[in-house]
Amino acid sequence: MKKIPDLITAEKFVEELRRYQKGSISRRQFMGATGLGLATAVLAGAVPGLRPRKAHAALSGTVNFTTWPSYFAQENLDKFTADTGVKVNVAVFGSNEEMLAKLQAGSTGWDVFVPTNYAISTYKDLGLIEELDLTRMPNYDPASQEQRFTAEGIIDGKTYAVPKNWGTTGFVVNTKNVTQVPSSWKEFFEATQGPLSGRVMVHDYQLTTIGAALKALGYGFNSVDEKELAEAEKLLIASKPHLFGINSDYKPSLISGDAWASVCWTGDATQLQRDMPEMKYVLAKDGGEIWSDFYAIPKGGQNLDAAYALIDFLLTPAINAIEVKAHGYPSTDSRTNALVPKEMLDNPILYPAAESLSPLEFGAAATLTNPLRAEIMARFKAA
Amino acid sequence: MSTHTRSPLVTGLLLAPAGVFFFFMLILPLLVMLVFSFGERAAAGGYVPAFTFDNYLNLPARGKAFLNTLTLAPLGTLLTAVIAFPMAYFLAVKVPPKWRVVMLVLVMAPFWTSQLMRYYAWIMILGSKGLPAWLAWIGITDVRLLNTPTAVLIGAVYGFLPLMVPPIYVSLEKLDKRLLEASADLGATPWHTFWQITLPLSLPGVATGSMLVFILLMGDYILPQYLGGGKVFFIGNALVDLFLQSRNWPYGAAVSVALVIIMFVTVYFYMRFVLGKTDQRRAALV
Amino acid sequence: MTQAVIELRNVSKRFGETLAVVDNNLSVNAGEFLSILGPSGCGKTTSLRMMAGFEQPTEGEVYIQGTNVTGVPAYRRPVNMVFQHYALFPHLSVADNVTYGLRQRSPKPPSAELARAADEALGMVRLSGLGRRRTYELSGGQQQRVALARALINRPAVLLLDEPLAALDRKLRAEMQFELQNLQRDVGVTFLLVTHDQEEALSMSDRVCVMREGRIVQIGSPRELYDRPNSRYVADFVGKSNFFAGPSAGTVTSVRPEMIELAPTEKKLPQGLATAVPAKVLNRIFVGDFTQYRLASDRLGEFLVVSPRRNERDVGTFEIGDQVAAGWRGDAAQVLADN
Repeated sequence: MKKIPDLITAEKFVEELRRYQKGSISRRQFMGATGLGLATAVLAGAVPGLRPRKAHAALSGTVNFTTWPSYFAQENLDKFTADTGVKVNVAVFGSNEEMLAKLQAGSTGWDVFVPTNYAISTYKDLGLIEELDLTRMPNYDPASQEQRFTAEGIIDGKTYAVPKNWGTTGFVVNTKNVTQVPSSWKEFFEATQGPLSGRVMVHDYQLTTIGAALKALGYGFNSVDEKELAEAEKLLIASKPHLFGINSDYKPSLISGDAWASVCWTGDATQLQRDMPEMKYVLAKDGGEIWSDFYAIPKGGQNLDAAYALIDFLLTPAINAIEVKAHGYPSTDSRTNALVPKEMLDNPILYPAAESLSPLEFGAAATLTNPLRAEIMARFKAA
Repeated sequence: MSTHTRSPLVTGLLLAPAGVFFFFMLILPLLVMLVFSFGERAAAGGYVPAFTFDNYLNLPARGKAFLNTLTLAPLGTLLTAVIAFPMAYFLAVKVPPKWRVVMLVLVMAPFWTSQLMRYYAWIMILGSKGLPAWLAWIGITDVRLLNTPTAVLIGAVYGFLPLMVPPIYVSLEKLDKRLLEASADLGATPWHTFWQITLPLSLPGVATGSMLVFILLMGDYILPQYLGGGKVFFIGNALVDLFLQSRNWPYGAAVSVALVIIMFVTVYFYMRFVLGKTDQRRAALV
Repeated sequence: MTQAVIELRNVSKRFGETLAVVDNNLSVNAGEFLSILGPSGCGKTTSLRMMAGFEQPTEGEVYIQGTNVTGVPAYRRPVNMVFQHYALFPHLSVADNVTYGLRQRSPKPPSAELARAADEALGMVRLSGLGRRRTYELSGGQQQRVALARALINRPAVLLLDEPLAALDRKLRAEMQFELQNLQRDVGVTFLLVTHDQEEALSMSDRVCVMREGRIVQIGSPRELYDRPNSRYVADFVGKSNFFAGPSAGTVTSVRPEMIELAPTEKKLPQGLATAVPAKVLNRIFVGDFTQYRLASDRLGEFLVVSPRRNERDVGTFEIGDQVAAGWRGDAAQVLADN
């Protein structure tokens, strides 16, 4: 007799609940669903009395921290609250475009957020972020940073963002279900339309999804060429019926076994592999993305002191090492790396061989605001 | 007794709160949307004033989203009504009165939990380790439910049942039971009585429930996003993308205007049809 | 003897602990107009509902045209009912209400035939031309007639009427009483009417069945019930009566107020009266065609006398406080069980 499969175990349900509580289900979706987001944002902005008063002597109140799914160590945030008395409110987003849209609309209430390298110049140009006062972050040491990851945080000699960590965008494959592991984006999309039909996910994110399609066609990751983008759109729309889903929060579907492969970031691959060694992270040989994420402070933040304190705290090497252990993305700070366990430093997912990094490109600022890329992504989803 | 006539000023003052509410909550946003829909997207996203019909001419680019919404929303509404009706009927007719409130509350119970939690539960039920695994066990293999229109429909029925049952329940509960006896007395079998008396007379409840569910489904984006996995795409999702990703406000405004018009027309004709059918409007006047 | 169209044989009905109908036997003859009369809660409506098939007897059987229909549901019984509040279908036109029964038949009659039948039935109840109206656009009396047409169009073996006039105002009720009687004579259908209004029952029916606490107390023609009630209850319910102490325990002597003679003195009373007493006028109500006196006598206590206008020529009128004499003939007094 066959074994009756479990529908959902209690542990599984609780695990999902935790995810929800931890905030890997985006707060935007929750707030959006309830209408609370806009209401609170508008109220907070419009009524002076509701603005928290600036803390002069000591830190207090709440710091609103906007980041990405599974991208922080809860124990660090708890420690920060214990040390300073400042509550940390976490919201997570799925793409830089979403973050930009939110900031453009105004009154976000954010105090600290995590933009990706290619987005920073746009934020600066639109006057959406503060210039950082490095003296208020004594634990940040520009000298210990790897130059290529810090570069885009500094514009005209002024620092607007400090690096959080770096990573790559490749794809992850469940080798238990998949024997023929693709090695390039070309093969990735071929497998999607072939043997892996119905089991593949791509990000709900124009940069990586359109970038991957462009690479599969042999074009540049950041192309804004009309003709090349038209081809990429065609490839994506042809693949769409074969996709399992379009979602930047792809780990749950990979864990549940609904999806067998997905466009994937370094840390998610690290996290997946901890419990599922069969998960293989591939940096496509035809290219992909290398990137770094930054901490930045949006203009109009309500709790500037706490914002600086939080960034400074998280960039403290001992604290940052705990972050790295939790999210599985490599740090840009050599002091932190000295504190990270050796097996992580040896993990090729975090630190790929130099030759597999060489075809990768940093995202270009133009892609963030390019209307054609935005529209193609939207059309692909609406198709 | 002399007839007391209210001065126009007093009447105006009494109506003012409602008027202000309507203006700021309904008319003004619609006007803003209308103005925006003729504008252009700013370079980095947003809105710059202009007068162009491009946004409307570009509507067919979201044709599939309109099509999805306009098929799945009515279908979901229909399925919800079909499943809600027997539940409401059971509650109103078969359950002893003292248990009715308890049962009705139980029907509403799912509404007390977060909408997202409910969808996550369904993601697990419909995922490959849930229902499809059970089906495989009885020999039906490789069933894919999650991220399909079917999943969205299941979510719609589950999610909106609590909105559909109460209005139908109310209309069935106040249905004059003597009419059912009269029908039986005139030779109608219980089945015929149901079709000729019970159903037509409970149509106002069905109409109210259907309207609620239909309007919510038409504008929904959470449900298709979670149970459709970004693959089953509604107009609501298109709007979220336009406003929150590609930041094309004018085009988003045009899509919104189109959605509002479609909803208005659909609801108008639906209500006319249902009210004409049951003649409740005229009944209410008598 | 005429054939019984509907019969209750030893029928009892129990609702939980309550006995609504107790061991009743009732036989309604073809073509007659029979009323069941009794106060509310006497079991008359339950009896009707058992005939219609909305309730099933706890014990006993129901026969329609000689067939045992006990347990047969309402929709398979060849009887139709006019409901107290008409129970017209609000979503159907008058014509569709009227033809509802015909449309339940299999095969359904063609629409031309339905239209013709509707016209005919509406003509019968004097509602010609109102077929396309909605029922709620009609007056109470018109609705009543639609309900009649809707039931009669099916040519039922028995037409059951559940307090059909209760919802109408007084004047309309009187009109409808005539109309019901005429209608019954015209269509020749057996009518079984349930009412708590004795005047309604007496004026329309061929026979009246008086019920009390679930039991049938007496069945007879209106005249029989009035003249020869078999108990104080019936005498009291059907018409008015004076009750005096009876000759033995558990009995009363009943004398109808209109059977009592009045005179200024005992000497002036007619000859051959069995009882004659002096009395005093306590009250007097002039009604028009008669005057009603309330008298008090030392021996008999208070009692009512109805004196027709015609009598005033012989005996004159009396005022409150007058001493008078009252008496009645032997056959005017009836000894009845005191219950």
